[in-house]
Amino acid sequence: MRKRARIELMVLDNVVWLLLVLFYLFNAAFTPNFTKMQNMVNILYQTTSISLLVLGQGIVMMVGELDLSIDSTLAFAPGVAVIVAAAGGEMNPALAIALTLLVGAGVGLLNGVFVAKVKANSFLFTLSTEIAMRGLVLFLIPFSIAGLHPAFSYLGRGKLGMVPVAVIAVLVIYAIFEFVFRKTVFGRKFLLTGGNRQAAFISGIDTDKVMIWSFVIAGVLAAVAGLVTAGRQNAVSNVMGKDMVMMAFAAAILGGCSFNGGLGKPIGMLGGALLLGMIDNSLNLLGVNVNLVSATKGALIFIAIVLDRVKTQLTAQILYRENVFKLKAGGGDGET
Amino acid sequence: MEIAFELRDITKLFAGTVALEHVSISVNRGEVHGLIGKNGAGKSTLVNILSGIIGPSMGEIHVNGHVFRHLTPHLAKKHKISIITQEPQTMNECTVAENLYMPMYGGAKGWIDWGKIENDTRETLEKAGFSIDPKQKARDLTVSEKQLMLVIKACYVEDADVVIMDEVSASLSKRDEHVLYDIIKERAAAGKTIIFISHHTAELLKVCDRVSVLRNGRCVGCYRCDELDMEKLARLIVGTESFSVSEAADKRHMVSDEVIFRLDGYTRYGKFRDVTLELHRGEILGLAGLRGSGRTEIMKCVVGADRPDGGKVMVGGSEKRYASPSQSLSDGVLYLPEEREREGLIGISSIKKNITISIMDMLSHWGIIKSKKENQRAGELISLLRIKAFSPDQEIHQLSGGNKQKVLVGKIMARTPVVSLLDEPTRGVDIQAKESILHSINEGMREGGGVLITSPSVDDLIKICDRILVLFEGEIIDVFDRGEFSEQAIYQAMQGERIHGAGECA
Repeated sequence: MRKRARIELMVLDNVVWLLLVLFYLFNAAFTPNFTKMQNMVNILYQTTSISLLVLGQGIVMMVGELDLSIDSTLAFAPGVAVIVAAAGGEMNPALAIALTLLVGAGVGLLNGVFVAKVKANSFLFTLSTEIAMRGLVLFLIPFSIAGLHPAFSYLGRGKLGMVPVAVIAVLVIYAIFEFVFRKTVFGRKFLLTGGNRQAAFISGIDTDKVMIWSFVIAGVLAAVAGLVTAGRQNAVSNVMGKDMVMMAFAAAILGGCSFNGGLGKPIGMLGGALLLGMIDNSLNLLGVNVNLVSATKGALIFIAIVLDRVKTQLTAQILYRENVFKLKAGGGDGET
Repeated sequence: MEIAFELRDITKLFAGTVALEHVSISVNRGEVHGLIGKNGAGKSTLVNILSGIIGPSMGEIHVNGHVFRHLTPHLAKKHKISIITQEPQTMNECTVAENLYMPMYGGAKGWIDWGKIENDTRETLEKAGFSIDPKQKARDLTVSEKQLMLVIKACYVEDADVVIMDEVSASLSKRDEHVLYDIIKERAAAGKTIIFISHHTAELLKVCDRVSVLRNGRCVGCYRCDELDMEKLARLIVGTESFSVSEAADKRHMVSDEVIFRLDGYTRYGKFRDVTLELHRGEILGLAGLRGSGRTEIMKCVVGADRPDGGKVMVGGSEKRYASPSQSLSDGVLYLPEEREREGLIGISSIKKNITISIMDMLSHWGIIKSKKENQRAGELISLLRIKAFSPDQEIHQLSGGNKQKVLVGKIMARTPVVSLLDEPTRGVDIQAKESILHSINEGMREGGGVLITSPSVDDLIKICDRILVLFEGEIIDVFDRGEFSEQAIYQAMQGERIHGAGECA
């Protein structure tokens, strides 16, 4: 392959970092206070919840499915956990945290089993669980449960020196998943399953299990995002996470995932999440109207969906051009 | 006699290969013209050109006094040329009547006269001697009935002057076969032209007036059926020059007495039945059979990608029932699927990851893949199979067909399987790649255990197999030992003729 094509493919694969740098420079020039250290930490801190959702969504997209329920899980898991753990009067924080994660895993398991075994359409099935869980949360928590145990909200509120615990936790989680998908057999199976499920199955991968795992991981990550969100506002409210799933989905695509599955890296997803956080932050600092912010987010989802297709087509075009070039040069590899 | 159409000096190049070379065929009105040849001989390419699905690189098509450089499906329809493909394409949720009359709906403008269409359908079906309910949905029909429905559509509803039947009879039941033959006879008498493709020599001789034989993209000749018999036709198809059997080394000395794999009365209804075979350590056993003879289905059932209805699988002396390929993998029973793109390879992953997909457990420690070990193993196989790529990290979809197929073989070889089930490992590759793949199988895959292999071309099997079983309509009907291999005899057996006596089969 010629150098030009290789560079083009590299740019397409890492488009999120390019956008991130461009956006940073743009804001550094036009948005007041944007580049200040405190604001950078702020962006990271405000991005923690969404970046966990992006990772979950991205992992499900790696195997070629979608999970729309994660933003409801974000409220449902800590909500149920806090209510149960505080049932006896005083809340047991360890029990509450464990329950939150367990509920998240349970929701993921439900989604995963129905998608993998019953072959339910993941988009529609997780949409149904999303609606159901949001309804339950609104029923169980009329407004919000405030005054959480300090240990329960430590993940969302705590600080190590200047840096919020949540930021460290998110970076550690991303590092772990980057390692898992790069180095382990378990992680390798996700992209192989997403790349061609039938071929992976024939090759001896238990593809149903991989799919179920992806939903369970997404559920647990959404529950962790719930802990972070609740901790940050020191309350479990019934609107936590509302409308975040489409943003998580847009960020995952910007970060290199694809509708078709078989693509994606945690590090890219983090880039997608940061881009989202940066856009949010700058619109805030510029004092843009809330409704316009929402419109901008819609536009962003739109761009992500188009980008997904355009990227696929551009990649195919570049490869086709290279093949034609090779054939014309007469060399080729002697075979077809 | 009036000429229905003529193909003059047609050549078709696909990237790197020549599918057709200076083929000229002229067919008369009212003629049933057969087209036969081995897989890859160019039959489908030829009829696709005639029906406008693809354009020729060179040559002319003469129809109704017009001369075309190439046709389009629309033009072909306009000149009343219809094609019926191997796999019936139907609208499953629509009724038989609607399937027959769409998309013109009997010339309706704006509104559709369903009553009329239904009545017409009833009449047409009756005329064709085919008894199905016009109101039945297509999804409730058998494959055979669907196929026949499409034949009736092309012959009577579209009233095509030239009807191309691409291996149509392969999916027909015995009863529907006779309906088809009657339709063909009636149409020919009415002055229509039928192009009939089939792998079955006997059928071809019975149905056709003349037969054109294709071999390696060339037209060997056009013969009157009353001047041919099955043996003569088989010889024309195979060609005399390919009788130079087995350049590959004879490795029968490596075959031991130990049976490592055995099927006993293996059955899946409608696909194969009562299949019994034994595979010895160090042996390469060929499974010859036409498409639909059950070879793919047997292999898929063994590894657990499909469910058998009865019979036993014995691996290394104990009975096994694999629920999925991940279970058979741990016993070292691996399957190489015939459909490379759909079932074999993961296009957007790298060569390396595809090769090591079934050995990840062997390359890892505590679940962490040792990249050094992985690179080394992938590198070994890439150079052993001479896979041409600039890096092991190159993605599969950038490779040529031959190299993709080599990766697929490499993926199986990586594990040195106890039992290798290779379904058409030489499918869709050129001669060089084919030789290299066959060589690798012959030299490299006997050590771990035994190999069961199928191929669309008998000469591939003859090169490397120690024994060849012949599968016909889901049953093993004959067996050949290496000493008595003859491409022609095996080809005839694949048509259902028992060359050896009945009780002799293993």
